[in-house]
Amino acid sequence: MKTIKYFLVSVIFFLAISTSVNAITIGFSVARFDDNFLTVMRNDAVRRAEEAGHTMQVDDAKDDVTTQLSQVQNYIASGVDAIIVNAVDTDTTQAMTKAAEGAGVPLVYVNRQPIDLDALGATTTFVGSNEKWSGTLEAFEMCVQAGGTGTAVMLMGQLSNEAARSRSEDVREVLKLSMCNGIDLIEEQTGNWSRLEANDIMTNWIAAGLEFNIVFANNDEMAIGAIQALKSAGISMDDVIVGGVDATEDALNAMLAGDLDVTVFQNAAAQGAGAVDAAAALVDGASLPNFVVIPFELVTMANIDNYIGQN
Amino acid sequence: MIQKQKNFISSYRKLPPEFNIFLVLLGIALVFEILGWIFIGQSFLLNKRRLVIMILQVSVIGIIAVGVTQVIIMAGIDLSGGSLVALSAIVAASLAQNSTYTKAIYPHLTDLPFIVPVLAGIACGLFAGFISGSLIARTGIPPFIATLGMLVSARGAAAWYNNGKPVSFLGDDFTALGQGAWPVLIFLVVAAVFHILMRYTRYGKHTYAIGSNEEAARVAGINIVRHKIIVYSIAGALSGLAGVVTAARAMSAQAGMGMMYELDAISAAVIGGTSLFGGRGRIAGTLFGVLILGVISSGFVFMRIDAYYQDMVKGAIIVGAVIVDHYRNKKMRNKDKDT
Repeated sequence: MKTIKYFLVSVIFFLAISTSVNAITIGFSVARFDDNFLTVMRNDAVRRAEEAGHTMQVDDAKDDVTTQLSQVQNYIASGVDAIIVNAVDTDTTQAMTKAAEGAGVPLVYVNRQPIDLDALGATTTFVGSNEKWSGTLEAFEMCVQAGGTGTAVMLMGQLSNEAARSRSEDVREVLKLSMCNGIDLIEEQTGNWSRLEANDIMTNWIAAGLEFNIVFANNDEMAIGAIQALKSAGISMDDVIVGGVDATEDALNAMLAGDLDVTVFQNAAAQGAGAVDAAAALVDGASLPNFVVIPFELVTMANIDNYIGQN
Repeated sequence: MIQKQKNFISSYRKLPPEFNIFLVLLGIALVFEILGWIFIGQSFLLNKRRLVIMILQVSVIGIIAVGVTQVIIMAGIDLSGGSLVALSAIVAASLAQNSTYTKAIYPHLTDLPFIVPVLAGIACGLFAGFISGSLIARTGIPPFIATLGMLVSARGAAAWYNNGKPVSFLGDDFTALGQGAWPVLIFLVVAAVFHILMRYTRYGKHTYAIGSNEEAARVAGINIVRHKIIVYSIAGALSGLAGVVTAARAMSAQAGMGMMYELDAISAAVIGGTSLFGGRGRIAGTLFGVLILGVISSGFVFMRIDAYYQDMVKGAIIVGAVIVDHYRNKKMRNKDKDT
């Protein structure tokens, strides 16, 4: 899996090198500036743009679909060479695709998969990870660690978010596999991606006397919140398998401490840098596939050393 | 017979005004209790751990609400609470990192005594409140606008402070403040202190006076400008304290923390009987308002209500609680007129 990643990154990198003579101007609309993962992605995109000598304007869409569309239209009006969009809502990307393709400006979606992925034209592409895999990798590894039996609860992200829905669905799908159907999912609740909300929900569950030994979380922040609640209730982390997604610095630290068992690394840096490179390549007339895949990678105690300091 | 009714009314009137809202709190709790026995087969209230989490999960909101209540009593409004939580949390956390973490924001300022980040967080909120208060008192712009500006700016500052990255790896003596029942204790002490200040000191009397009739308060010789700045600074400082507690509880500070907390805090104050027109309200009422929010949150998880419905039901309960309180108050006032 790693090899594929390096191959893809290096392909994009090569494309970028070959075009880096032309410094271009890029408009980059990010869904939210206060999201940890998106911030890593954004910072690496900015770094790559600086290295390549591109001029990049970065804007905060503040989680608002209309704001984002206006930003894209402003970029087009001000004559940028390329646009990068980290979509606020993956269901409403068509308007932006239409605007950019109508004006002949190359458009790169990053991190969040646009709904019109299959219909993207020659000057539009998506750089990101295949969301289908994150929840599946997490749940399957946890199922293996639990030996295919147990009682589980699940903490979900914001239900309006595609990643939350698909990661939760992945968990349910994995639990239907014959080797995992001994795991009984007894509770699920949304913690809105938040550590404190997850902590509160978990404490409420413990108070209700629920007994479980597996905690699926849609992201690491909620996994850490669950761990904090379990610990303060005096439950030994050796008895509970907890998994999240993102491989944040806090999460890797929790794994080293023996609290977190599974997480999934989504390469924010490679996505951010990859989007900038893809934009430069498109400006240069290169043809890219509709979906430039940066794979998810499973992180456990066995391979954690490869990931420390990455996100 | 008439005599008897009068006695009943007068004894009812002797009860503090928070009694109504206490009944609402009790009512909501009893509904969950009964539903619990019917559908879940266990008690909602007779569970020590659940009672703790009910208050614990709203302690931070409660600390903000104590400050907001004072502002609203003074006929103002403070929308900046949630953003100040994020900013203060990040500033406090940046001074609370431990030296085992090699990438600390201030590598030379690690392992500081826990009082340093705590005071820094509170001071950060106080300063923001001072700015809002000064703007309102000196330029005369509406409090809604001044604190709305602070809401936006402080959120931006929180993201700018560490480039939007979270601040983690905090010292144990700092995070201890957020563990166990500490947030509850801090909230209750803050509520008690300001309940006393508002009821029995000149500070409180001036706040009510300005909220009831600003012109009359001015004529009576109250220094309006100074008093407004003080009240907004206190509200800011309490939001700062709330940020410190949040960071300690999460063992991490992030720019997205405290989102919408200001609305929960204002809801708690209003549910607790504080009038948005100023001059009326008590910290004790806000305490019950905060507890109602906590009971609702725990009740939803307890009843396994699907996440989609939670916010819809929560909004209805907030409005419903205020309608009940409003109706009872009106009835009491009408009876006052009759007697």
